[in-house]
Amino acid sequence: MALFSPPSTHFPTISATFTSKTHFTQKPYLPLKFKRNLLFLSIKATENGAGIVEEEKVEKKKEEASVTEVVKEEASLGSNGVSAVAPVEAPVALKFKDPRWVGGTWDLKQFEKDGKTNWDAVIDAEVRRRKWLQDNPETSSNDDPVVFDTSIIPWWSWVKRFHLPEAELLNGRAAMIGFFMAYLVDSLTGVGLVDQMGNFFCKTLLFVAVVGVLLVRKNEDVENLKKLLEETTFYDKQWQATWQDETASGSKKD
Amino acid sequence: MASIALNARFTTTTCDRKTTEHSRETLKTFIGLRQTTLANHNFHSLTKNLPSQQINRRLSIKAAKSSPKITGRNLRVAVIGGGPAGGAAAETLAKGGIETYLIERKLDNCKPCGGAIPLCMVGEFDLPLDIIDRRVTKMKMISPSNVAVDIGQTLKPDEYIGMVRREVLDAYLRERAEKSGATVINGLFLKMDLPKEPNAPYVLHYSAFDGKTGGVGERSTLEVDAVIGADGANSRVAKAINAGDYDYAIAFQERIKIPDDKMVYYENLAEMYVGDDVSPDFYGWVFPKCDHVAVGTGTVTHKGDIKKFQVATRNRAKDKILGGKIIRVEAHPIPEHPRPRRLSGRVALVGDAAGYVTKCSGEGIYFAAKSGRMCGEAIVEGSENGKRMIEEGDLRNYLEKWDKTYWPTYKVLDVLQKVFYRSNPAREAFVEMCADEYVQKMTFDSYLYKRVVPGNPLEDLKLAINTIGSLVRANALRGEMDKISL
Repeated sequence: MALFSPPSTHFPTISATFTSKTHFTQKPYLPLKFKRNLLFLSIKATENGAGIVEEEKVEKKKEEASVTEVVKEEASLGSNGVSAVAPVEAPVALKFKDPRWVGGTWDLKQFEKDGKTNWDAVIDAEVRRRKWLQDNPETSSNDDPVVFDTSIIPWWSWVKRFHLPEAELLNGRAAMIGFFMAYLVDSLTGVGLVDQMGNFFCKTLLFVAVVGVLLVRKNEDVENLKKLLEETTFYDKQWQATWQDETASGSKKD
Repeated sequence: MASIALNARFTTTTCDRKTTEHSRETLKTFIGLRQTTLANHNFHSLTKNLPSQQINRRLSIKAAKSSPKITGRNLRVAVIGGGPAGGAAAETLAKGGIETYLIERKLDNCKPCGGAIPLCMVGEFDLPLDIIDRRVTKMKMISPSNVAVDIGQTLKPDEYIGMVRREVLDAYLRERAEKSGATVINGLFLKMDLPKEPNAPYVLHYSAFDGKTGGVGERSTLEVDAVIGADGANSRVAKAINAGDYDYAIAFQERIKIPDDKMVYYENLAEMYVGDDVSPDFYGWVFPKCDHVAVGTGTVTHKGDIKKFQVATRNRAKDKILGGKIIRVEAHPIPEHPRPRRLSGRVALVGDAAGYVTKCSGEGIYFAAKSGRMCGEAIVEGSENGKRMIEEGDLRNYLEKWDKTYWPTYKVLDVLQKVFYRSNPAREAFVEMCADEYVQKMTFDSYLYKRVVPGNPLEDLKLAINTIGSLVRANALRGEMDKISL
């Protein structure tokens, strides 16, 4: 049930206007019925063979009816104030409000500290706004457009805030790995550090180490990278399927 | 690599040069696709089944083609489904001198569909301008944090995205097929008997409605030499040839009649909403239709929540569609990738039945019509205008040409979807990227004309850097978002 409730309770006001001309009676169990219909729909799609005219018509009608009924029910729930089924969420017509958010952007004057804009505070404010919007998606409006663009925050303030702590760690890690690899190569082959620098194989090894340190920052990263690789080739495989079939069936036939 | 191996193979055999050329022509598999991952595997299987195929070829050296001539009649082909794919296929076949039957269950079918067609389709399919209800020249992309970007500023005055009603477009293409000589049958395709011997006909069973759609219909059969399955996502032809299933997205759409003063805004403008609230892996839309707007959303991964997403989409567009009345509710499956098998014997699938819908944009009309036509052309060519029997190899030509032509388009859109519909920060970056004029120009060029134009390398580099910058910034913000609580 919670699935079908609107994310914010001011929705009922529009849905009331949407359904002003529908004449369905309100039945409290209908949302369940709707769910069944939806399931039916997906079964139909997977079954891959449905689509008899009459059946589909009936189904469509049923679905249409139940959808409007769901909408209607939600509307009436809102109007008489009983929201036992719908989870209690943000109050009516909630909009993001912050004294520093003016005209669809952050008023940078209010972020000034010692005559300079405190970009860190801007980032903090934007983080809060995005978090808020994630929980309470807001209606887009043409009269009040959002013009804030993260690229107005200078690059060095991003680097200072997000990259430097990480960089320290990565730098240390790369140096350590580099040192040990050099030591290992030296002990195994007897090639000194200076000679290693002129060697193609050792250069490659160094490159691998740096890339590895950059890509694998946590243990999960290995798994994620594997998944990513699989994901990128998945669509290719789906397309190739029909060609693999050719060779398979070809050899079977002969 | 494969072709080198083939060459070596052939030079050791005694067949003459001409046959070699011929076999190589038909044996060549689609390299562009296969090279990527399974080069070794393909190479292996290719050489393995080569000798036997070669013998076939050698037996048929004397005739120009191996397939027998048809006497007393022309090749008979049935097209199942009368959408854009079926209509285009039937027209091509009929024009090519083939006895064509088009079976459609509902001649006034009003399919739930965005109905956007690219500009090049108007030219390529010679569509009359009056079937286009609206010309969209402005697109608005709206990010999760409601940053709206207009992406149509680079369009030239004569460029637009056409919005059609499917019942109009489908009927027009069908009529044109009929005029070219195809027989349109109003009937429901039931099943198909596959031939036991080579070159024997396929027997189709269908119930003919004979004008009145209400009745149960009369059970009839039809014998044909080849079948084109253009019967959409729930294809029965695909089931008959055991083509396998595909993942599908479910698209939900409400047609909303909004007050005239609100409609002015949507005169020539379409909106796309992205965000986790609207759809976790697709987008929500408001498209202008003839006298109303279509508000909808789609998803693959969270089908059970589609109703919630629809409410969210409506909520995001709330002020603009205020006072609207829902006049129709529709839902439809959209294929996500091609079926594991797209042809078998003398049966080929086209359009949605084959699964030719792009990711990211979810576009399918143009590709359906185009694949129908391409398949028709392959049959006409293979049968030498209906004089000869066709074989699987002729249909394979269609498949090969199709994949070669459109695979890059599909792949690019797949990558775009994977990168930019992944999460809210990625979507923010996507919208930021779309604000760039260069991006808009490239997007519209490739959408409207369906060709990938090589861009300016300097601009490409700039774009790549900007995009990565956007992605990094948005993701950094998300990292902080996870840390705080409101």
